[in-house]
Amino acid sequence: MSTTVPGLTSPAGRTIRRRVLPALVRTESLRLLRNPVPWLGLALSVWALWTTVPEPGEWPGSSYEGVTPTVAPLLFGISVAVATTFHRGRTEVAPAAPVQEARRALARLLAALPFLVVTAGFAALIGWREHDLGGLWLGMEPGRTTEAFHTVAELSQHVALGLVAVALGAALGRRVSRLAAVLPALFVLWFVAMTYWLFGARSVTPFSVIQVQPVPVPVGPPSTDPLSLPADWLLVGPPHTSGWDRQLVSESLAWWHDVWLLGLALLLLAVAWPSEGRRRLAAAGLVLAVLGVVGQQVVIP
Amino acid sequence: MTAAMTAATAQAVVPTARALRWAPPAGVAVLLLLVVGLAGSSGRPADTVLAIAAAGTAATVVGGLHDPAAALLAPVPVSAMRRRLLRLGLLGVPALVLWWVLVSMAPMTVHAGPGPLLALAACGVAVAVWAPERVAVLLGAATPVAVLAVDRVAPAGSTVAEVLGWWLTDPWWVLGAATLVCAAGRHR
Repeated sequence: MSTTVPGLTSPAGRTIRRRVLPALVRTESLRLLRNPVPWLGLALSVWALWTTVPEPGEWPGSSYEGVTPTVAPLLFGISVAVATTFHRGRTEVAPAAPVQEARRALARLLAALPFLVVTAGFAALIGWREHDLGGLWLGMEPGRTTEAFHTVAELSQHVALGLVAVALGAALGRRVSRLAAVLPALFVLWFVAMTYWLFGARSVTPFSVIQVQPVPVPVGPPSTDPLSLPADWLLVGPPHTSGWDRQLVSESLAWWHDVWLLGLALLLLAVAWPSEGRRRLAAAGLVLAVLGVVGQQVVIP
Repeated sequence: MTAAMTAATAQAVVPTARALRWAPPAGVAVLLLLVVGLAGSSGRPADTVLAIAAAGTAATVVGGLHDPAAALLAPVPVSAMRRRLLRLGLLGVPALVLWWVLVSMAPMTVHAGPGPLLALAACGVAVAVWAPERVAVLLGAATPVAVLAVDRVAPAGSTVAEVLGWWLTDPWWVLGAATLVCAAGRHR
């Protein structure tokens, strides 16, 4: 008894190849969504978001700044799940397998895209929560508001970060030989990114992963009369800082930061990708990353 | 028998050191050094960064227990616990050196001794010893990470935060308890 397998270049073989990709995406997607780690991360993120509320006597803008990094546990969970999936790509498959490695990697990547919907949902939850609280506090008198809401540009960062989380998981999962070694690396990367105050300075923020606004821009020494500064500026000054700073919230900065994140994600995907197509991904990633950094530098006063 | 086991363990030092994957721990170490250096230059307290460093380093050490040749080595006259201790020793010494460097670089920190690092690593090893074999090391490496992740988002002053913070407030008690749990599983 013998079995006839259609050749890969024959019409029947091409039909099989066309049907294989959606089937693989479906299978991988179900596996990914059944992984409990992203959902545990989501639960931690929601918990952290709910406990971030403005409190009297807080550092001006503390709650506003604290909201964005709450997404870190979710991003860590996404990266772990994707790393698990891409780690299976390390297992050797016969060179004559009907689905080449690039298509298997593409299927895994497409299967991870529902996580971007989850990060978008989390961003929407942030918006809803802020409106529910009546807004957050930003700045100090005379440049203060108690109705600060994150802009759409700032919230869009969560989707871009979701893509970076997928790409980071893919890169480490595919290239590190032991999954037990990937876990600490992902943890350190995402939770260090969560310590936003280390990356808030004007010179560092364009290169940050989780960008937290407002960015402090020095505008004068302690002796400056804050009433002489433009009325629409949000301000922070003594005793919180050594001089008067403008608390800059910029939509343009946030959009350019998204471009930087997209570039970073493509560069990481290039690491995860099989040799075929890797250079194009790396080149596109590099262009976007440089563009994003330059754009941010131009926008920051 | 003990002398034979000790001799066999001593012979296994070099091959085990070669079998360990050093690139991921080295990458984590470089990242932590950069971040603690950044915290130092910004003059901000580095307690949070050091807590992350403790959990990340502990998880890396526990992750080093993964031995692809475990099934092959099962019949040799060196117990699984001895092989674990050998790996922990090989990874633990550089981890302690890294911790000492990080603490000495960090500005304004309450972290001083190696207690928190050892406590978290011991908790991870205890889980790795008792968890089902297929996922033992993965769950063990996840333990320090999970403790810190939940501790970071738990509301300050809550019972959850207090219990999960024992590795920081009472590290030596946690280390002692985890060591006892490991000792109870020495034949596993």
